[in-house]
Amino acid sequence: MEVEAQKTWSDRGWPDASAWRARVETPSLPREQPYLDTLPALIIGTLLVLAASGLVLAVYYDPWHPYASIQFIRLEVSSGWLIQSFHETGTTMLFGAVFLVLFRGIMFRSYRGRGEFVWLGTVALFCVLLLAGWLGYCLSGGAVAGVSLTQAASSVETWTGLPGLLAGWFFGGPHGPGTLARLVMFHAVLGLAVFALVALLYAARKAARPVTPRPVAFHPYYTAQYFVAFTIFALIFALFTFFAPHFGENPLNMLPAGPMIIPTNPTPLWFLAPLSAVRVLLPGDAGGVIAVLAMLGLLFALPWLDRFSGPPRQPGLLYKILVVVLALDVIALGLAAACRPSLTAVILQIVFALWYFFHFLVLTPLVTALEAK
Amino acid sequence: MMRRLLLPAFLAAPLLGGFTPAQAEDTLSPLHFQSQNLLGGYDIAALQRGFLVYQTVCASCHSASALHYRDLQALGFSAEQAGGIAASVKLANGQPATLNDRFRNPHMTGTAFGGAVPPDLSNIAAERPQGPRYIYHLLTGYEAAPSGTVLMSGHFYDAAFPGGQIAMPPPLKGNDVAYADGVTASAPQEAEDVSAFLAWAAAPNLNTRREIGVRAVLFLIFLSILAIATKRRIWRETV
Repeated sequence: MEVEAQKTWSDRGWPDASAWRARVETPSLPREQPYLDTLPALIIGTLLVLAASGLVLAVYYDPWHPYASIQFIRLEVSSGWLIQSFHETGTTMLFGAVFLVLFRGIMFRSYRGRGEFVWLGTVALFCVLLLAGWLGYCLSGGAVAGVSLTQAASSVETWTGLPGLLAGWFFGGPHGPGTLARLVMFHAVLGLAVFALVALLYAARKAARPVTPRPVAFHPYYTAQYFVAFTIFALIFALFTFFAPHFGENPLNMLPAGPMIIPTNPTPLWFLAPLSAVRVLLPGDAGGVIAVLAMLGLLFALPWLDRFSGPPRQPGLLYKILVVVLALDVIALGLAAACRPSLTAVILQIVFALWYFFHFLVLTPLVTALEAK
Repeated sequence: MMRRLLLPAFLAAPLLGGFTPAQAEDTLSPLHFQSQNLLGGYDIAALQRGFLVYQTVCASCHSASALHYRDLQALGFSAEQAGGIAASVKLANGQPATLNDRFRNPHMTGTAFGGAVPPDLSNIAAERPQGPRYIYHLLTGYEAAPSGTVLMSGHFYDAAFPGGQIAMPPPLKGNDVAYADGVTASAPQEAEDVSAFLAWAAAPNLNTRREIGVRAVLFLIFLSILAIATKRRIWRETV
């Protein structure tokens, strides 16, 4: 009875509360973790913003009149322009954070040992987000997005067997009625499936956390650190939302999609640009798909491409320089894809794409094996 | 300490207040649109003049179906004034328009201009690169065709139009309207005003967006500084 009286109101009603409080106050975390370690939490926050703003957009969106309904949301739904801006900027911030997580993963080789599962989960999350992001882009009903959708849908038309069947269900043909109505559903389902992946990743990250000698508690030390990260992230978010809401988007996408409107230079969204550039490596539509899959597949294969097999330690200088070059190479790939179509742009795309594959297939095994000695 | 933190807010105050219309500002030499600056807002006087040009000249052939007559209240017209403007417009069914009607669609057929259909103007400033500037140069770009150019029948030469040959006859001749605020209604002035109006039509929330934006950014800068100070203090106590 004595013990019962000491319990707070929330503890009596919800026994997990005290267990949860004990957990965040128990010292278990290493000290002086870098600020960028908060990125996974910021990604979850951005996903929540995207889900909430996406719900508002979804209830006013009409896939049969995509462009007109976006105009309706922007002009006539109360603060609809703000919600749409949040959703658009949320995508930009989400991919910015995910690219940074992937970069750090490669740089510090966190895919090794117990981090392997976290890495595979992160790459899987990246792939799902890319697909969901592209679907959302198609839903904008803009001319450039329309060209992208038509190209994708018509390139899978010649597929046979099971892939052809799946592609047929997915798109229903390039000019099938209600293609966007289907894509709305896939966009929403993938957007929610991402949360399941995030839950798996959270568990994997916890399992991969090393035991530390002089640990500190999450609260108040890391709550203070996460708060700093959150405010800075929100500041960048606000700058994009209010001053550059269409960052990384071709201005011609403001035109409504239609068979009579063909943009002269249909450049992809910024986060899809590196993938789009890699398509030039192999001929034909099927070649483009294979090149993109190979590009993503290399990220999955990275734990086995790394030939270093000793105790974990800091990677060497040469490896670090090569990873920075790889990051610059991916940025250059995107920029080359955003150029006006020309012979120079295609040659640059081929060179940068070849370097990407060279880095993973030749340099990574070589340099890691050298550094192991 | 407090004063130092608030200093950025005072410095930004003129920017926040920059949305009151500047009367009779010369925006033609050099051509500029306040709304195209990073923190600029719309010049309400120019928008009202631009609407007058739109209503008198453009609206006879072009639709702007994303706009309602009630939206004119954002240009500084009272509900009565906007209602009066709407009532002076006869809709296709012969009834006068009301505040809740969309801008009248003249339903021009393609045959009127040799196969060219006048585009809807509600979002045109966003649909063209450098929208307001492009519209201004298009409206003032009519000139004699260079020698050697064969004009298609019913077309006019306009240096700003891609391909140079446009089916729209020169719409502005100067003094097409009489401005209530005394500004001379020269053709370039009318073109500049109607471009400003169409920029507003494509992004009517721009002023609000930038107002909220400046406040949000200032607040978040303040909050970040506070968060960093808190974090440093808490971590100093670790043993």
